Amino acid sequence: MFAKIGILEAAYYLPPTRKPLADVFRDEQQDETPLAANVDFQRDIGIEAVHVAGEESASSVALNACKKVIEKAKVDPRDIDLIVGFTSIPEDYIAPTWSAAGYVQKELGATHAFATAINTGGCASYQQTLKSVCSLMSTNDRLNLALLFAGDKVPALNHNYYPITVVCDGGGAVLLKKNHDRNLILSVEVITAGKLHDVWWVPGFPHRNPDKPEDHSWMHVAGDIKRFNTELIPINLLMFRKVIRGALQRAGKKPADVKYYVYPTFSSWDQKAFCRAFTIPPEKMFTAGLQRHGHLQETDMVIDYVDARDEGYIHPGDLVMLTTNGAGFSWGAALVQH
Amino acid sequence: MDNVKTGIVSAACRLPEHRRSAMELFQEEGLNLTSEVAARLGVEQVPICNGQSGSDLAVAASLRCLENAAVPGSEVDVVVDYTILPQEWMVPVWNMSGKVQKEVGAEKAFTVGFSGGGSTNFLVALNYTAAMLEVDDKMKYALLVGADVTIPGNRVLNPESPVSVMGDGASAMLLQRGAPGRLVLGTEILSDGANHDIYYIPGGCLANPEDPKLYRMVLDKQRYDAAPKTATMLQLAKDVLDRAGLKLGDVKYVVYPNISVEDQEAFRTAFGLRPDQICTSNLATHGHMQGNDLVLNYLSLSANGELQAGDYVLICSHGMGFMAGASLIRI
Repeated sequence: MFAKIGILEAAYYLPPTRKPLADVFRDEQQDETPLAANVDFQRDIGIEAVHVAGEESASSVALNACKKVIEKAKVDPRDIDLIVGFTSIPEDYIAPTWSAAGYVQKELGATHAFATAINTGGCASYQQTLKSVCSLMSTNDRLNLALLFAGDKVPALNHNYYPITVVCDGGGAVLLKKNHDRNLILSVEVITAGKLHDVWWVPGFPHRNPDKPEDHSWMHVAGDIKRFNTELIPINLLMFRKVIRGALQRAGKKPADVKYYVYPTFSSWDQKAFCRAFTIPPEKMFTAGLQRHGHLQETDMVIDYVDARDEGYIHPGDLVMLTTNGAGFSWGAALVQH
Repeated sequence: MDNVKTGIVSAACRLPEHRRSAMELFQEEGLNLTSEVAARLGVEQVPICNGQSGSDLAVAASLRCLENAAVPGSEVDVVVDYTILPQEWMVPVWNMSGKVQKEVGAEKAFTVGFSGGGSTNFLVALNYTAAMLEVDDKMKYALLVGADVTIPGNRVLNPESPVSVMGDGASAMLLQRGAPGRLVLGTEILSDGANHDIYYIPGGCLANPEDPKLYRMVLDKQRYDAAPKTATMLQLAKDVLDRAGLKLGDVKYVVYPNISVEDQEAFRTAFGLRPDQICTSNLATHGHMQGNDLVLNYLSLSANGELQAGDYVLICSHGMGFMAGASLIRI
C-alpha cells in the first residue's frame, strides 16, 4: 500500500543529568491504589535512573535529536519536504494551537518543508505518524524526505506515572526517504479505543489553583486507575494482537517471520507479560533500555530501535516489529524490513 | 497505487445558539469599537458557548454530518481532529477525537489530530486524510472534526489593533474513498518556521506556567502584516491547479476563512476574484472560528445551490502567516 519508503536514519538525544529512581520516589507523591498485577511498583519496575532536562526546554531537546539525525544522515535541511512532530505530552506552548514543528523548521533552516504535528495516540503517536506520513509521501511525488521528531520534558515532579512507569526526558528523530533501499516501512496498523479517552489526561491551566501559582500539578498526568485496571488492562493484549496481526497481514507476513521486536520500556512486568502473551523469547526483544533510562513516551520506539540496531540485535534482512500502546487509548504496530 | 480519489460526502456545523455582538465583546474587553475598526473587521456578532464544551459541539456536528450522509458511525475508519484552540483537557495527552469516536460509535476507527497553522490545520487534516484513504483499500470513510472555543476575555484578536473577533463553533466533514464527486484533487501547503510563534498562546504550558495574563491567544501583528500571505497562497493555488492541468480562471468558487473584511478583500484582490466567487456572508454573523470557517463557508456555497457537478473549488487559508495552504476540489 505504501510507496517504497525507508528509514534513512534515526537518532536520539538524552539530557546529560540523570536522576536515580530512589530520588524520584522520594520527591514525588504516589497514588496508593493497588496494582492489578501482584507486583510492587517501586521494587519491581526495573528502572535504575531517568534523564531530566532541567533548564533545557522541550523544544531544544527535540531540536538536539533532529540535529543528530541530520548530521548522521548527512542531509541538507533544505531537502526536507515534511517535518512532523509526534510528541505526546505538553510542549513549551499549548497544543493544538502550537507545536514545536515550526520551531524545528526554523532552527534547522528547512525552508522548503511544511511543518505540522500529530497530537493523538499517546505513546503510539509514532505509529500514527508513520501511517500518516507514509500515506502522504506515497500519494505525492514531490514529497521525498520527511523528518519525524519528538521532544519530551515532563514537569519537574511528574516523572512517576504510577501505575505504569517512571518517565525520562529526551527526544528522538527519524528521517524517512522515498525509494530508500533499506529499513522499509512495509505496513502500519493503528487502533484507538475512544471509550477510554478519559482514563488518562492532563487537566490544564484552566484547572489550576489560582491561589497557588507555584503549584504546577495541573500539568501533571492524571489517571482513573480503577478504570485503568478494570477496562484497559483486560483488553490490552487483545488490542496488541489485533494491530500486530493487522500489520503482518497487510505485509503478507507471518508472526514467525518477525526477527525482532521493539516494545516500550514501561516496566519489567509489562515487558514480561508481553513476551509471555506472544511467546517471544527475551533475546528477540530489546529490553535493556528499561534499566538505562525508563520510559520516554513515544520516543521509546526510536531510542530502543536505534540502540537495538547499533548494538547488533537487528541485522540486514531482519523483519522488525515496532509496537506500542498509548493514552487515548491507541495501539500501533509498524513492520520494518531491514 | 490504484489512483482512487477521495471525495467529500457530507459536512455539518454545530454552533452555540447564544450570541454576543462585537460591540458588547469590545466593551467587555475594555476596547472601543470605532466605526473604522468595525468596517475593517466586518464582524457584527459571534456564536458563544454558554456552558457547552467544545467536544460536545464536535460530537453534535459529527452526528449530524454522518446522518446527512446516511453513514453509520460504525463504518468510520479514522477520526481526524483539526481543532486549533485549547480543548477541555490538555492536548496531546488527551484529544477530543477519542470522545467523538466513542460517541458516534466508530468502534473500528483510530484517531489522528493535527496541531498548528490556524485555519490551515483543516487543510493539513484534509491533505493527510485524503492520502490515507487513497493508499489504503481497507479504509473507506474518514470523519474530520474540529471544535474551537475561545478563551474567555480573548475574543478580540490583537486588541491594540484588532484583526478579528473570534466565535465558538464546531464542524465535521465526512470523506469517502472512491466517492462519486466532490473529489479532493490535491493540496499544497507551505509553512514558514520563522513564524511558528506568530499566532499562539504564550502561557499555560511549560514555557510560562504561572502568569494568567499570558494564557491568551496573541498575534504578532508586525510579523503578520509583513508575512507574504496572499502571495504564498496564490503560488500554492497555482501549484495545485497546475498539477491538475488547470488555471486560476478555471476555478468557479473559493472558500476562505472569516477573519475580517480587510483580509477577505486582500485575498479577493490578489486572486482577481469577483465578489460572487467567494463566500463572505458568514463573516458578519460568526466572526472567526479557526478551521471551522472553511466548513461553514463550504456548506453555505452548497446550500445556495451554487455548486454544479464539474465545478472547481479552491479552499485557501494563510494560517496567520505561519502556514499557507490551498486545496482543489472538483464538484
